[in-house]
Amino acid sequence: MSKSMNSSVNELESRLLKTGSERLALLGKHSDVLMQAYTRDEVPLESLSDSALRKLLAARILWRPDEHSGVKLAPKVRELIAEMLADETRRHVNADVAETLELIRALVHSYREARSRGEHWRLEQQLMRLRQEVDDLNGRFADAIDSLWQRLNSDFGFVSQLNDKIRENDRAQKQIARLLDGLALINFDELIELVGSDGSLRKLLISQLQQQLSHHYTGLREVQRRLIELMARFRKQQARSRLISGMAAFMREHPGFMPSNYARRSEVPALVNQAAPLNAAAAPALDRNLECQVLADLLHQLPQPRHTTQTVEAAAPAQAQESSLAAARQQALKQDVEHFYLSVIDQPQAEPVSALEYLHESPLEWPDEIWLFQVIAEYQGLPRNDQRAFRLKQQETQASAFNHLRLIHDVELQLAV
Amino acid sequence: MIEHGPLLERLLAGEFICPVSDESGYRHLSNAETREEIDIYLRPLNRRLASNEDGSVYFLAWRQLNDSARDQLSRQLGETLNSLLPLLEWLQLVQEALGRDTLAAPGDVLKPAEFSAKCEDNQSLRERLERLATDSFFGSQSDQLDAQAKQVFKRLKEHGYLLQPHSERQVFVVTGKIDYLVDLVRFIRDEENLPIDAEGEEGKQEVLL
Repeated sequence: MSKSMNSSVNELESRLLKTGSERLALLGKHSDVLMQAYTRDEVPLESLSDSALRKLLAARILWRPDEHSGVKLAPKVRELIAEMLADETRRHVNADVAETLELIRALVHSYREARSRGEHWRLEQQLMRLRQEVDDLNGRFADAIDSLWQRLNSDFGFVSQLNDKIRENDRAQKQIARLLDGLALINFDELIELVGSDGSLRKLLISQLQQQLSHHYTGLREVQRRLIELMARFRKQQARSRLISGMAAFMREHPGFMPSNYARRSEVPALVNQAAPLNAAAAPALDRNLECQVLADLLHQLPQPRHTTQTVEAAAPAQAQESSLAAARQQALKQDVEHFYLSVIDQPQAEPVSALEYLHESPLEWPDEIWLFQVIAEYQGLPRNDQRAFRLKQQETQASAFNHLRLIHDVELQLAV
Repeated sequence: MIEHGPLLERLLAGEFICPVSDESGYRHLSNAETREEIDIYLRPLNRRLASNEDGSVYFLAWRQLNDSARDQLSRQLGETLNSLLPLLEWLQLVQEALGRDTLAAPGDVLKPAEFSAKCEDNQSLRERLERLATDSFFGSQSDQLDAQAKQVFKRLKEHGYLLQPHSERQVFVVTGKIDYLVDLVRFIRDEENLPIDAEGEEGKQEVLL
């Protein structure tokens, strides 16, 4: 008896498997047509043979609402595609808790009957179906929450207009409310009573389900909070946009519009009280020795001013036209002397530097006399203020006892501190 | 106080501090203790720290409103009001040209090239940009669309509404000062009881267009 029953069960199962995979294969075989149907209103029949259409209708992948209307995608298939594509515009959120609960009650009763009759095989079957139902319920909540997060995280990116975003957000919030209502339908006191003392049922329908549902509940509450925040932001953006266009339109219509002078009120509104800018200026100061070195370094880092060959425009004693070569040499001499001055500024402790020593140590090849002459001339040429920053000491001797001619052997330049 | 030196300098120079214009400065100012310290420091300068309602931008306000401060505020208010319409029109133009349905908001990235390219294709936008650029507030002398857009962005940068992170790249970021401007517009609407209905405005606009 049990053997024949087993074989008929196996036969049933194998037939089920065969038909199921045949029909699933239809989805793949006609995927192009089905996707076209998904994006359009109706299935384009021209690319389907009659037998293919019959098979698709028999598998309830397609359906025909009535004789005259076209063939359409079955709602479940549409849902499946939307789910696979995470197509948030068409993804349905529907946990259908009430019906699942009915089914669970029926299955539990049937399970207990089977147990009291000792029908182990049916017992196993019912337990498996119960497990599947619980898994499905879980899956539906998880899917719904996933869909909600997807929409939230993309800022409802699948619609472009702010008004649509607001409507979508509203729709999502209503879905959450329905999902929460669904969760509220599950009464664990009732379930505890229903399962009685059966261990496996208790584990499945009480401890496991309770844990999963409380997880979903937290998830839903979190999405809900975030959706409300986002909605507030959308509304704020909308209000800003309207405010600006409204004010611009008003000002265009009333070119002479002048609000009252808020600055003259006894209580000046916080928004218009904006202090005048203040420039925190500072200038280089030379009154602290320590900082002089820093300033000198900074001075050194300044880009070299580019001298033009003739800077002085003022009237000068008539001068023979210098050849350009001589002018260039003169310019080079002047620059070398300027470097000498800069090196004096760099001296630590402001020690005096001998002009000739500097010349001899450097790779420069100016005649001593011309060098000294230019060093002195540079000093004389400095503005009075800059001159005070240096001390020029001339090492000189009297040429002879009979006149006051003095010969300069060297000059020492020192930073005056 | 020393670590807030650069921040103080920017504030004193009349800058608006927001997360875009000075992220670390703004973070410091979000701390009530720091704000108090800065206020104490500013007291002898007759200034205090102020912010808009949302606290999204900080700036300096007069502590005591004496006559000269009131004079300065009146002048400044006059200048702001003179530049208000061009600024609002620019905001609208950006929104329309870039096909957005929200106003430029702090942190948004704007490129003059993209903006002028969009205006180029559309006669009405093009005319509006031209009218805007030659407004005395923006003061463009050019009849080239690109140069006009650049001038508009340059002026907005000078007024602190935009930030240019790299001086050699024509990419701008909207600062929190835009929030201040919007707040000011809202304030004026409420104070003057202007017939600008924030809710029903859209329908009216559609009729006007």
